[in-house]
Amino acid sequence: MKRVNFILCIEAYLLCKGVAAVLQRIPGASVVREFGTVDMLTHYLKNHAVDFLLICDTLFEKATDLFIEDPGLLERTILLKINPVRPEGAGKFKEIIYLTDGKQEITFKIKELLNPYFRNHREEPQSTLTEREKTIVRLVSMGLTNKQIADKLFLSTHTIITHRKNIIHKLGIKSVSGLTVYAIVNNIITIDEVT
Amino acid sequence: MCQAVLEHYRLLPLLPRFNIRLGFGEKCVEEVCRLNHVTTEFFMEISNAYLDDDYIPQTDLSLFPLGDLVGYLTSTHHYYLEVAIPKIERKIHQLLDGSALSEKERGLVSGFFDDYRKEFLEHVSREDKLVLPYILELEKEYMKEKPDAEFMKRLQVYTIRDFAREHDRLETSLENLSRLIIKYLPPFEDFDLCHQVLTDLSDLVRDLIDHAHMEDKVLVPRVAEIEQHLLRKSEAG
Repeated sequence: MKRVNFILCIEAYLLCKGVAAVLQRIPGASVVREFGTVDMLTHYLKNHAVDFLLICDTLFEKATDLFIEDPGLLERTILLKINPVRPEGAGKFKEIIYLTDGKQEITFKIKELLNPYFRNHREEPQSTLTEREKTIVRLVSMGLTNKQIADKLFLSTHTIITHRKNIIHKLGIKSVSGLTVYAIVNNIITIDEVT
Repeated sequence: MCQAVLEHYRLLPLLPRFNIRLGFGEKCVEEVCRLNHVTTEFFMEISNAYLDDDYIPQTDLSLFPLGDLVGYLTSTHHYYLEVAIPKIERKIHQLLDGSALSEKERGLVSGFFDDYRKEFLEHVSREDKLVLPYILELEKEYMKEKPDAEFMKRLQVYTIRDFAREHDRLETSLENLSRLIIKYLPPFEDFDLCHQVLTDLSDLVRDLIDHAHMEDKVLVPRVAEIEQHLLRKSEAG
């Protein structure tokens, strides 16, 4: 499963641990690093790609250089608002989390952030076979040759070969034995039906 | 160095690929590397890419010679073919011999692994025979005052990015085999051996993913950088 990576930059240790624990419980979210100072964060960002940065308001003020250097970072930043009085410049952050937020609000906000990642993920054509391709994998697993499959499905051998190429491309599996095992573990065929 | 290995156990299989042996004493990473004729930056780069999925190499990749990379890849391939895969194959056969599986089920598993080994060999020989020599040649041309015209012509048609695109995934099939054992085959009597097989399979899958990651994040960008340099140089000249 794909993980969306968060790094935290929060001065207050207890708060940082708490935020990390909450994030880790949300499926798909992963806290890869926690920082208590801007220096260490800056150093890390030089060598690493992250999906989201969650930073508390007090440290955000000290991290202005970071955002000037990488203007795109703001769109991936979630502000943790500790000081309720100061204006936060709503709109410029990807999301704002308040200390007063309840469990549902926080979970909802984070899940909204994760949604696009998983929507794209599901649409990836890889590894999902069409019904026709599944039928072919099934027949290949039963030991039929391309010619026999073509006759059975009233298609040309050429079409079957094209289908098989697409299957190899999608699954990365070439051999008949490999396809057979794939077919079994994906419930396309049972062991008893395999020849 | 001892600290690094204890904290990151996954570094262990990397060491023989650099010809580094245990018994570090108090030596630090740099000393160990120097004693074994390994470029420290290179060792760090590989280890980081291997341990950390989100790692992006430092911009200055030109610190180490490409020969290091090629040597590393060759010994990794050697490890897969000579150590990791035969080990699993041996255990699988042992497992099948002592099992109550039907002829058909046995044939399914052993046939599967047999084909897998062949595909693996094919994949690795392609890299060893085509890609790695290409990289070495690329570096040689790069060092020359005037690169070979024939080589430059080829470079305009085929680059490392094309190779990366054609690169198959080798780990999917192994995961299917684990699933087959866990879900669909009748249980094996020798659970301990079965456990070893599954653990070895999962280690190899992890290793292959890390290896592919290293090729994508370190090897391909570094080689592409040199290709770009060469192409620009030849345009200017």
